Amino acid sequence: MLLIGILIKIFVVANVLMGAVAYLIWVERKVAAFAQDRIGPNRCGREFGVPEGLLQPLADGAKMMLKEGVVPGYVNKPLYILAPVIAIVAALLGFAVVPFGPVGPDQIMDFQIAPYLDIGIVWVFAVSSLAVYGVILAGWASNNKYSFFGGLRSSAQLISYEIPLGLSILGIVLLAGSLDLNAIIKWQDEHVWGILASPIGFLIFLVSGFAETNRLPFDLPEAEQELVGGFHTEYSGMKFGMFFLGEYVHVITVSALTVILFLGGWDLPFVNLHYDQVGLVAAVV
Amino acid sequence: MITTTALLAALVALLGGVGAYLMLPGRHGRARPALLHKAGFQAAVLGLVLFYPFLSPMGDFIVTSFFDLFATTAIVAAVLMTTSRDPIHSALWFAAVVISTAGLFLLAGAPFLAAGTVIVYAGAIVVMFLFVIMLAQMEGKAAYDRAAHAPGAAALACFTLLWCLLTALGSIQTEKTGPIETREQQVRAEATLGRTEFLVARYKLRKSSDLLTVIAGASPSTNRIEDEEGREKLNVAGLGEALYTDHLVTAGLSGVLLFVALIAAVAIANPKPPGAGMGPKSVAP
Repeated sequence: MLLIGILIKIFVVANVLMGAVAYLIWVERKVAAFAQDRIGPNRCGREFGVPEGLLQPLADGAKMMLKEGVVPGYVNKPLYILAPVIAIVAALLGFAVVPFGPVGPDQIMDFQIAPYLDIGIVWVFAVSSLAVYGVILAGWASNNKYSFFGGLRSSAQLISYEIPLGLSILGIVLLAGSLDLNAIIKWQDEHVWGILASPIGFLIFLVSGFAETNRLPFDLPEAEQELVGGFHTEYSGMKFGMFFLGEYVHVITVSALTVILFLGGWDLPFVNLHYDQVGLVAAVV
Repeated sequence: MITTTALLAALVALLGGVGAYLMLPGRHGRARPALLHKAGFQAAVLGLVLFYPFLSPMGDFIVTSFFDLFATTAIVAAVLMTTSRDPIHSALWFAAVVISTAGLFLLAGAPFLAAGTVIVYAGAIVVMFLFVIMLAQMEGKAAYDRAAHAPGAAALACFTLLWCLLTALGSIQTEKTGPIETREQQVRAEATLGRTEFLVARYKLRKSSDLLTVIAGASPSTNRIEDEEGREKLNVAGLGEALYTDHLVTAGLSGVLLFVALIAAVAIANPKPPGAGMGPKSVAP
């Protein structure tokens, strides 16, 4: 019974994550279009009275699924297929310890896939260090110079920014006296937010987080003018979609971690509400 | 006393040894004839199947099936790592070994050790191997990458060691079905595990439940340290306390060793070009 409950929880959380990814992509396209004085996706869903192209993610997903998956003849096939699988599995596994609501025996349910795991944040680092394999294997198995250099650049960036990422949380971990993310939130609830306690740590975490997720100032793996598309040049269809999904899930995880570690989780500032009450509201939201 | 356990252990070691020897590449990088290679593969698989009774069930169905999965993956990946003729595949199989070992640690209730293993080995060292191999092998594989140095001696040494371990540990396998009740059982188990008489005399006989094996009873693991009120401590706290009380000297020494190695690495990887700043040599004649 308990097992079925856990499976249902995993299913729901994974699907909500995927949905969030789809709408993050929509938001990114809209914002980029606004910045460049374009309109962005605005057609999809108009027939059904849905405004602002809100059905665009559905259409994107369908396109990814239905597209022909081309596997070039010169690739190393087992590794070529394994690489996107690693990318998405590592990204989803990392979310397992991220709490999105209060955890404890006196709660309605544990709002975390893997509660009571006291290594918390170390698990995230362990799993995200595996995400490098997806990138490096994709670059190598594609058997293509652009992919290879994109993969090398990207994995060099990932493994070098892991070190400041790991070191930047030490301050808050020492203050909270625990690696468990719930304990860290609880400490911030009782004292101050992590951003006030260790501001430099927050800055380093933010910068390394951008680098870890290959977002904009650090998007050299996707330098279009020199590397075509970087490590995923040879990928098409849903295999490319899996890289994309993995990347955005990683973005969500890092954002959630930033909030949990430095912005007090679901704890509201200046409001002396009890830990659990605020948590429940945040989880429902 | 020659028991069936000892015979089975000898059979496993023999089959595994012959199989691994036949699967290893020859001294000069040539593969063995396909028939011999296939025979070696079959011998190794048979040895693995016969090895199965040595694996001890750890608990309920889920735990046992995960244990079997991780254990089998680790052994198979280890054999494939040594016998693979492509260095990149070898490195990837090594990563598989490390990850399944981390899974075993996780099952044994040591999540910090599991995460540490994944971060250090799979996340850093194997990725570094992959980098070096990929960069060094731009022009194709060298013969020395494909050759085994001394396949016969290596297979003999490894599988003799395996045979010794199996016969030694196999004798406590028979005890494991019931709880430890007599002092003789405890003494035998501890002597098998290499404890001295002093330690055997010092630790009292403890009566363990059905699930606890002799091994668990003979060597209390560090994460089972109880605090003053008799509650079990959290994993990381227990590990830290064990490291900084029982093993303080070891931890300090390994820290010093790593620090010295770090300095040496910086000294070796001197960014100055060779010849510059080397005293009299740099002065042109």
